[in-house]
Amino acid sequence: MNPVTLIAQKERSALLQNQRGLVWLLAYAGILSAFALLLISNRELSLLDNAQVVYMMAGTVTAAGALIAVIMGADAYAGERERGTLVPLLTAPVSTGELLMGKALGLVSAWGIMYLLAFPYLWSVGAGGQNLGQAIFYLGLFGTPVVLGFGYLAMALSARSGSVMSSLLTSLIVLLFSASPLLVGPGLRNSTIGKTLDAVNPFSGALNTFDAVIIDSDPFTGQLARLFLVLIWLGLMFAFARISARRPVFR
Amino acid sequence: MKTTKLLLVTILLLSSGLATAASIQLQVQPESANPSHPTMGDWMHFNSVISNTGSKPIEGLVAWISLVEVTPGKEQPMDLEDWSAHKAVTGTTLKPGEALKTQWPMRLIQSGDYRIVISATDRNNSTVFTSPTLQFHVSQKPVVESTRILPVAIGIPLLIAGLLGVRKYRGHHKTS
Amino acid sequence: MLIDANNLALTLSGQSILADVNLHMKKGDVYGLLGPNGAGKSTTIALLLGLYQADRGELQLFNQQSPDLAAIRRRIGVMPEFAGFYEWMNARDYLIWYAGFYGGMQTTPDTLLQRVGLSTVGNKPIKQFSRGMTQRLALERALVHGPELLILDEPTNGLDPRGRREIHDLLIDLAEQEHVGILLCTHLLDDVERLCSRIGIIDGGRSVFEDSLEDLLQDTGKPRYRLHMTSVPEGHPLPPEIRLINKEGSWWNFEIDLPTAMDIGRVWINLLEHGWSFDEVGVKKNTLEDHYLSLTGVSAATLREKVA
Repeated sequence: MNPVTLIAQKERSALLQNQRGLVWLLAYAGILSAFALLLISNRELSLLDNAQVVYMMAGTVTAAGALIAVIMGADAYAGERERGTLVPLLTAPVSTGELLMGKALGLVSAWGIMYLLAFPYLWSVGAGGQNLGQAIFYLGLFGTPVVLGFGYLAMALSARSGSVMSSLLTSLIVLLFSASPLLVGPGLRNSTIGKTLDAVNPFSGALNTFDAVIIDSDPFTGQLARLFLVLIWLGLMFAFARISARRPVFR
Repeated sequence: MKTTKLLLVTILLLSSGLATAASIQLQVQPESANPSHPTMGDWMHFNSVISNTGSKPIEGLVAWISLVEVTPGKEQPMDLEDWSAHKAVTGTTLKPGEALKTQWPMRLIQSGDYRIVISATDRNNSTVFTSPTLQFHVSQKPVVESTRILPVAIGIPLLIAGLLGVRKYRGHHKTS
Repeated sequence: MLIDANNLALTLSGQSILADVNLHMKKGDVYGLLGPNGAGKSTTIALLLGLYQADRGELQLFNQQSPDLAAIRRRIGVMPEFAGFYEWMNARDYLIWYAGFYGGMQTTPDTLLQRVGLSTVGNKPIKQFSRGMTQRLALERALVHGPELLILDEPTNGLDPRGRREIHDLLIDLAEQEHVGILLCTHLLDDVERLCSRIGIIDGGRSVFEDSLEDLLQDTGKPRYRLHMTSVPEGHPLPPEIRLINKEGSWWNFEIDLPTAMDIGRVWINLLEHGWSFDEVGVKKNTLEDHYLSLTGVSAATLREKVA
């Protein structure tokens, strides 16, 4: 087995075989369930049409994915260092690139599980409505680079700082900043600063695509600019991680 | 002479009473852009005209919208809390012959048969004036179905919790 | 040669960590790397493993100047000072997984576990291991692929005397029977004296000594005497030919410059005249600790301050 696969296998077993790893999966399912139950118990939310609800669910899945990516990424190097397991990895015949790819594959596995687990939820709120199939497709197409990008960002900070706390906090701040246009009102979003942030923010890019495709039934060609944005984000964060992981802090 | 004086005084008294009573006329019409077959979640707008048909100005005018359900077997007044944020106009002054136009937006929260009415009174009036009522029917809409959501929202976390429990039990069993 | 390092220097974050380090080791050597805390021992090891790149100097591993790191690492086993594992795994699964980086195990997991006395706990989650068990597993992790060079940082940390002896026997066996080179970084001079054939001492980022242990211990240096003191004058001024090395209870150890052996009598008279009185005299044999202390910055001067 090659080193990348070995490391990815270890990351997967940490997620699924470790008790603590399964708890995060339960928490994620809890968030989606809480949202779904809110939809049927709250009068105003229950009036939303299926497309609107599917859009909101897709946004929630992406946000949860980015959060998990940041947590896993912050632990990738600094967590191993703090537990004393990084040096055995660095002194094994594994290149720094292979180590990074193995960690990234582990992250992709986590996102894959979250993505698959979202299917029954999306079906339950969106079946009988419009664009459910498109929602699932675009969630994968846009959600994956956004989530992976945040994961790479956190990994880069983890390798550079050697501290889980510091890399996690910094990554969370970046994530919150990305999500901020969605938390502020439409008035601020329509301002010059709001529009500029929207144009360069990968998180906004994904959500605006979900809006366009699921609610407005816009075609694929209309999403190309935003697809380009999220792919640029992924590329930049990968490069940052690659450079940072060449000499991770290990002592 | 005595009778004539008595008659004059009576007429004066009556006319002064009539002259001091403000007269409010209300009309209400549905907005032309309203959906022809309203469904749950739709918005409807009602346009009212409140006119001062008296000879004295109206001060401290208060006008409000009321909603009543008239679905057979479910007749009841409705709390407009979820239906509308614009429930009243207050503190307006209307000169004689002046009219106030107001639009009343409303979100249709529930299916059923309903009537709306606009009511008005003023500071100096003990009478409440009402418009004619408008009746409309709100159809049921297929929204998120609890029959699909409940099994998923409850079932999936239970499944994962069960998996956790099994893993924990097997872990204890192995090491003991 | 397994390791041929000359004049290695390294600066990190603008600070000079290593200035001039030399390390030479051949097949079958058990090399003890000693030095005070912060001297640069762990940094030297990290440099040898390719985790840092030297600013100056030459380094050859297995006679290769610019080695393919992955190929070199296949021939080296490392036991870091703080042994960390993935606690949800058991020992057997962990060794099998780790051996995957080296193309698999050369023998069965049970054989490996038996070698370090862990054969009965192979299926136990590592989180339930004691400190000593974790140390043994860490040693076995370093041996899982049959390395030619073993680099160990405090390998007997947390082990009881029996455990330490077992590890010593294993390491001696590896060196003598399988000609594995062992680079041992430790503070336990007993371990060094028992195991090592060569030692290198680093102080302040520089090599201050490198030679065989036997040669070092045979170098008696200046004569040293132990005096059992009954009274010590205030301020305890000493004649110039006498240097205080250290104090062990009421025994005071001195190094004395003597032109001839006959002058020792005059030295005692000189001490008595200065107010020192003692009831017993002995010759102090130079131990590894004595050499270490004299070679590193933990010098007589520092100790003189401590005993004053």
